[in-house]
Amino acid sequence: MKKPILLLLVLGAVCAYQPSHAQLLKKIKDKVNKTVNSSTTTTTTDSNTTDAGTATDASGKPVNKGGGGLKNTPPPDVNQQMTDAEQAHAAANYSDARYSIQQALIGVEIQLGRELLKSLPDPVLGLPKDTTQDKVMSTQWGWNNMTIQRVYTDKKDKQLTVTIGNNALYSGLVNVYFNNAYMVQADDKDQNMKQTKVKGNKAIIQYDDSKGYTLMVPLGQSSLIVWECINFADETEVMNTANAFDIEGIKKMLGEQ
Amino acid sequence: MKKIIIAIFFISFACSVFAQGDFKTQMATAKTSYAAGKLEEAHFALQQAMQELDIIIGKEVLKLLPQKLDSLTVNTKDDHVTANAGFIGATIHRSYGAMGKASVEIINNSPLIGTLNTFLNSALLGGMMRDENTKVVKVQGYKARLEKQGENENGKFNYSLQIPFNSALMTVTVNGTTENEILAMANTIPLQNIAKLIQ
Repeated sequence: MKKPILLLLVLGAVCAYQPSHAQLLKKIKDKVNKTVNSSTTTTTTDSNTTDAGTATDASGKPVNKGGGGLKNTPPPDVNQQMTDAEQAHAAANYSDARYSIQQALIGVEIQLGRELLKSLPDPVLGLPKDTTQDKVMSTQWGWNNMTIQRVYTDKKDKQLTVTIGNNALYSGLVNVYFNNAYMVQADDKDQNMKQTKVKGNKAIIQYDDSKGYTLMVPLGQSSLIVWECINFADETEVMNTANAFDIEGIKKMLGEQ
Repeated sequence: MKKIIIAIFFISFACSVFAQGDFKTQMATAKTSYAAGKLEEAHFALQQAMQELDIIIGKEVLKLLPQKLDSLTVNTKDDHVTANAGFIGATIHRSYGAMGKASVEIINNSPLIGTLNTFLNSALLGGMMRDENTKVVKVQGYKARLEKQGENENGKFNYSLQIPFNSALMTVTVNGTTENEILAMANTIPLQNIAKLIQ
């Protein structure tokens, strides 16, 4: 009598177990689906603030997801431009001659810029250069039309940006500072800007919690080297970094005294 | 007498050749420096050549300017073309009438052009900046800014008309005149031909 009851009980338990097993399986399946879906939706929503899957911004305009970019045009052929300038001048075509000389100037500046970039140290105090951010920019105004930029980074949070040449952003500040004796900034605890020297050249160093250190050395009559140091430990590290550069060599390449 | 004339002829020929020669010398220096890899010297020589060219262009523009503005005759001795500091183009100057009466000045490649063009093209800025002393006018199809700049000793007004081109600025200043007079004078200047040369 006991045995069949026991058997019945076991059978009942097994049967009862089946649906809950299925339920359990369903629960697991649902959870898996949820995690998989949420991970895919985060990748599509992290670049815009709209719902997952939509590709328009707030005004209904489609959001650009990519493209071929722009092809780098080769710098002007200096020799060709100089010949063109001479021919245009001989033909009294002065406007064209002027244009050709401007193109030749741009060509020379870009070459100068590239040579300067090659001459810069690598690495700098352990920071390797990031050649993808190398820039040579040429404007049309002023004595020295060229600005070059080189970035050194450890790909984490430490970065050094060196800008050499005509620097509109900082040259005003530097001129005011060096030409006006009254402008000395000092709080009662720390100065956020002070004068210093880099390899015998007068310089200004600035510190800001949001920007890090900025060290500026005026070169000759119209150029500037600016080191922008993000997440550098202290002033000494910044000065050591600047000392790693051949400032006299750079001055010579730019034609400054 | 003949000998003097021939001598003057040769001297003036030499002078003009010298001026042209400067451009050719600079270009030759630029070419040799570039070939020798002396980029900074090539750069400087090219800038000098450009400056020479600006002066040549300036002299050609002077030839295009009228000999008379209304009844005011040109002061040829006051004509000059100066290269601007920093290798930014040249300034061409001509005056008419008695000293300080009227002048035409063209600054080639002036960085102020940008500001003036914004002023002329921005309806908002133009509207805000307009007062009873300035207004935007058109001269031979070119937008220009006419400004009343006080009075002369006879109680007549002094006017300045600024006409920006792509990268140059022409300023016509006439003292002791009226709006219509200065605009009429400006209309005798061949703006289109000058624009072709200086741009």
